[in-house]
Amino acid sequence: MNTSLRKSIRPGATIGIVHIFFVLIGFNMLVAILFARVSGVKQPDAIPAPVYLMAYSITMGIWAGVAAAQKRKQEFRQVAFAGCVAGGFAGIMAGLLEFGLAIILVKNINVRDVLTVLSANFIKGTLFGMQPAMGVMVTVMLFALGGTLGGALVAFWNSTPFQAFLNRGIRFTKDSVQKAQGVTHGKNRLLWQIASISLLALAVVFLPLNWGSYWNYVLGTVGLYVVLGLGLNIAVGLSGQLVLGFIAFFAIGAYSMALLNAPLPYHLMWGFWPALVLGVLLAAVAGLLLGLPLMRLRGDYLAIVTLGFGEIIRILLKSDVLTAYTGGPRGIQNIGGPTIFGRPFVTDVDFMYLIIGAMLLAMFIYSRLQNSRTGRAWLAIREDETVARASGVNTVRYKLLALVIGAAFAGLAGAIFASRNQFTGPEEHSLMASINVLSLIIVGGLGSIPGTIMGAFALKGLPEILREFENYRLLAFGALLVAMMLSKPDGFIPSRRPKFQIPIQPETREAPKEQDHD
Amino acid sequence: MKSLKFVVVLVLVSILVTACQPSAAPSQAAVVSGAPDVCTSDAFGCAVFKPGEVVKLGMGAPMTGGNGSYGVDISQGASIAVTDAGDVKGWKFALDAQDDGGTAEGGASVANKFVTDPAIVAIAGHIFTDATRAAMPIYEKAGIPMLSPSNTVADLTTLGSAVFNRIAFSDTNQGNAAGDYLFNTLKVKDLAILHDGSSYGKGLADTVAAQFAKDGGTVVATQAITPGETDFTAVLSAVASKNPGAVYFGGYAAEGSILVNQMKQTGLENAVFFGDDGTYGVDFLTHVGANGEGAFATIAPASPDSAAKTAFNAAYLAQFGKEAGSLSPYTWAGYDSAAILANAVKAVAVVGSDGNLYVPRAALMAAVRATKDYVGLSGTFTCQSNGECNAGLPQFVVVQNGAWVAVQ
Amino acid sequence: MHALSLPTLAVKGARFKKVAHVFDLLRPILGAIVLAFIAYRLYQVLIVQQEYGADTWTRLLISGLIIGGVYALIAIGYTLVYGILFMINFAHGEVMMLGAYAGLFAFQAFNAIQVGGQAQTSFLNAYPVLAILLAFVIGMFISAAIGYFLEKIAYRPLRKAPRLVPLISAIGASIFLQNAAQLLFSPQLREVTNPDILRRGAGWTISINNANVIIPYTGVFTFVLSVLLLIALYIIVRKTRLGRSMRAVALDKKTAALMGVDVDRTISQTFIISGALAGAAGVMWGLHNGMVYFYVGFIPGIKAFTAAVLGGIGNLPGAMLGGLVLGIVESVGPAALGIDFQLKDVLAFVILIIVLTFRPSGLLGEVLAEEKV
Repeated sequence: MNTSLRKSIRPGATIGIVHIFFVLIGFNMLVAILFARVSGVKQPDAIPAPVYLMAYSITMGIWAGVAAAQKRKQEFRQVAFAGCVAGGFAGIMAGLLEFGLAIILVKNINVRDVLTVLSANFIKGTLFGMQPAMGVMVTVMLFALGGTLGGALVAFWNSTPFQAFLNRGIRFTKDSVQKAQGVTHGKNRLLWQIASISLLALAVVFLPLNWGSYWNYVLGTVGLYVVLGLGLNIAVGLSGQLVLGFIAFFAIGAYSMALLNAPLPYHLMWGFWPALVLGVLLAAVAGLLLGLPLMRLRGDYLAIVTLGFGEIIRILLKSDVLTAYTGGPRGIQNIGGPTIFGRPFVTDVDFMYLIIGAMLLAMFIYSRLQNSRTGRAWLAIREDETVARASGVNTVRYKLLALVIGAAFAGLAGAIFASRNQFTGPEEHSLMASINVLSLIIVGGLGSIPGTIMGAFALKGLPEILREFENYRLLAFGALLVAMMLSKPDGFIPSRRPKFQIPIQPETREAPKEQDHD
Repeated sequence: MKSLKFVVVLVLVSILVTACQPSAAPSQAAVVSGAPDVCTSDAFGCAVFKPGEVVKLGMGAPMTGGNGSYGVDISQGASIAVTDAGDVKGWKFALDAQDDGGTAEGGASVANKFVTDPAIVAIAGHIFTDATRAAMPIYEKAGIPMLSPSNTVADLTTLGSAVFNRIAFSDTNQGNAAGDYLFNTLKVKDLAILHDGSSYGKGLADTVAAQFAKDGGTVVATQAITPGETDFTAVLSAVASKNPGAVYFGGYAAEGSILVNQMKQTGLENAVFFGDDGTYGVDFLTHVGANGEGAFATIAPASPDSAAKTAFNAAYLAQFGKEAGSLSPYTWAGYDSAAILANAVKAVAVVGSDGNLYVPRAALMAAVRATKDYVGLSGTFTCQSNGECNAGLPQFVVVQNGAWVAVQ
Repeated sequence: MHALSLPTLAVKGARFKKVAHVFDLLRPILGAIVLAFIAYRLYQVLIVQQEYGADTWTRLLISGLIIGGVYALIAIGYTLVYGILFMINFAHGEVMMLGAYAGLFAFQAFNAIQVGGQAQTSFLNAYPVLAILLAFVIGMFISAAIGYFLEKIAYRPLRKAPRLVPLISAIGASIFLQNAAQLLFSPQLREVTNPDILRRGAGWTISINNANVIIPYTGVFTFVLSVLLLIALYIIVRKTRLGRSMRAVALDKKTAALMGVDVDRTISQTFIISGALAGAAGVMWGLHNGMVYFYVGFIPGIKAFTAAVLGGIGNLPGAMLGGLVLGIVESVGPAALGIDFQLKDVLAFVILIIVLTFRPSGLLGEVLAEEKV
């Protein structure tokens, strides 16, 4: 077979497999429903009209075509043909699948005990409500059509006139940006700063009033995770200690707020602000106590021990032994909110401002620390602890300091979180929450403040945006997490400091540069 | 500086994103011409539906993660109820089931989503206690009634909430009855208590232990297991050394059936297994097989196989490819909760002179709480003023010859 | 050696010396306190209260060994991958879960096939040994294939990225696989059909203190199989050509490549072996515990990771030891110290912290470079 053809069949086969997986989990129906919704159907049926499923088939075909046509510098016809082959091959696989489904349908075999979605109606819908033979043929055709379309799109994108047009556009943008940058020199730079800061301030003041309680809640959670992420970034990003059970400090903050400021179990009712301060302090002390015995550990050993610490805190909070003191699995509710100048915080908007304040405070402290003498000491420890110690850096003290400050950030976030929900329980502080925080700082870009904001959006905002995908949302989230890492291994907005590698391996074990034989 | 620029861009993008969202506040101010009078007098105003729109019931349930089967199952049961409910004066019902992961954070975020959707009139849920606790104050502010099929924790109905109702037993009700039954009818003197460490299981187990001790029995062991694990032989061996006459378990069928099986290997062959409404169901029977003979569970008193239930089971199997009750014990409760809410909506909805449908929110809250003698698939329900809709005594069932049989 | 012992370098700065002294003083004190506490509790439980008889202790030990065997087998998969790539394969528990599903469906199918002329019996009970063998082959094959593709899609492009990046990719893959299983097979809890000779709950009965202690067949099977697979793996790593390449790659990828070892292929093969072990663990899990659902890999995955670190991650015998220690601590520990079984994970993690405080690289430590797997 000639290589060009083989090169097209490979992406076709990949998309074919993806399609088969989609059908077996019923994802094709969801995509069709979304298509129907976009085109104005208010309440689409569980099995939407065939035309939307056809749109799904074409989309998959386009995907195959684009995949096959990429990285090819050939003339239009060849690229379109490659797309057609890829789409067609995927279509043939889809057709084979539908052939199998049709047999299941006609012979009335019950496979739903294993593969739950494959009901008779579902299979009929997948065959566009047509006769099996017809449905299979239409599928192959639609895939091939989509593939050709995809190939053509790529070819058009790569074509000389379009690229020239694109380049002109880019050059124009570049020029205007340069011009604008020219303006931002000198005095005007100050002006630009003032302008952007005031724009930001305006947005911060007015946005929470307008975007409704749902987005206030979701973005409030994102904001708290920014604080949490900055805290973890001090430990992981700045000083290079892999802490996995970070949510434990969050839990300590939340429970301090809860125990000191709720009617049950103690009825202390200290008020929000003292409880907040104590929560932050207690979290910091916990960081110190955890850090003391662990300063000899590095890398993954530290990770598992902190993970263990997080689990210990969670299990103790819900255990029978401490139920009388912590409320056990039931948690603590009716946690009071803050009051400023006699005005109680009641609405989502109030809390949003509080969270924005906490975020700004955390960002300020973080950036001051990063650029201070302490920050440089952390950098030295992160790059090579042994060398840092040899050059006179008190590694133990600085590592402890990082853990303590990071824990204090988490305590702050936890206290606000508990007060905002008016409730906290042990299951709030599970391992998955710790993993989320770690993921967000890596996805965003280790060590950078905008990266942390971006990562918090990706980790806490994305699942909310993906609610349209119903039960498939975490599936999509997992796949996107992998895809984000594959496409941006350094995170969205990496820190401008030199790239870091937690230095636990000797140099000799690093991957050689020229080992890629693929 | 660069980071500042970035934040500026980010804020602008978020303005755009949120601008594209449908505007927030639910359409409470129904001062539209053509609105019926009831809307102006209603404390929370009316939800308005133009012809062709759908009346939505919300549900917050864990659809993913370790407890995913509960949410998937209950929402599937409720979706059949929504279909069965037909229409209200020509407007169709729809179920909007959202994943709250069973956590407080998820519950609050789903609740906030629902209160910003003007088409949501009532909530069949939430399913897990943490989510419910965080969601309650949010619905309270918006005047959206809840009817939980599965929250049993005792204090939920003592908080003075105007919106929270449940058709599940309260722990006090079920736990006291179980404690009495164990001591008085089964003549158990030494009881071992196990629970799964959840607020449901522990709440129930604590009540049973207290009642049993009050009756004069001895609680010889109290232990908790970790849900999601599958080997409990160690903890059962420790319990066996105390020679209890019965083991009360507060928790769900998944762990309950493992316990029943492993009791036979750990020296608890002769102890009675006494479960709760979470261990009832066909799922339990398939997992325990012959080991389950003589195991107890709790249900609400209802004719176990009414015609409606048979029809529902058939519809569930046809639509979802699984036996009803094979994913969780709460399938039928999920159906009932959505059906009761749909009934209440039908009772209060009015068509205005402009041809729109109006659902007065405060009146709906009252209507849900006024539910009386509703015969559902999982029991007969009459709501009290605190939102307790299942105050009757529970019915105990025991496994005999591989089937659940009611006992007196 | 990266874990250069700290005291040799602790010559810089008076202040640091002081801190180091504090630590050197703290550790023995901490150790003494912990030992004294344990001794006191043991004395209380064993001598004063005499809460449990010999029969109970035997039962606890048996369940500890069985759980430990499974943990060990999963932990080996972690350690194998870690030894070569220095990455935590977070999705390993999910690979095991899919192996458990494969075993479940295999047994279900074998049970449905009818063989024999007059007396119709299912294939499962007519040829139980063959059926079990086939189920293991299927489970191991599926898991190995998933392990292979996981590496190829989610980890290989990140080989040169910072170390935490593949970890996040693995977390994403874990979430994906878990939800994929839920959506494909529904969230239902499923029951594995065992062949009659390995019926769950049945076992040898021994009598201690007039109480019957059952040693379940499935448990013994699980334990023996774990040990056999571990020995087989050890032989592969120590004696075969593949094992030699694995050790070479673990030691130094660049030099290994220069010596003619195909690094990519070796890593792929490592993932295949690790996946196959996870698959075996999954099928065993199904046979012994009976329950299979999409979440079944998560908790054992975390536990096995803990076990691997406890034993010294990257070290094969260490993973075995770590698994067994963890299993026994979980089942015997709470009884011996007289605390609630609910706190068994707390106990396990406290022990982990204590062990790592005194031996910062696990029980068997990081062995010398040439011993490294």
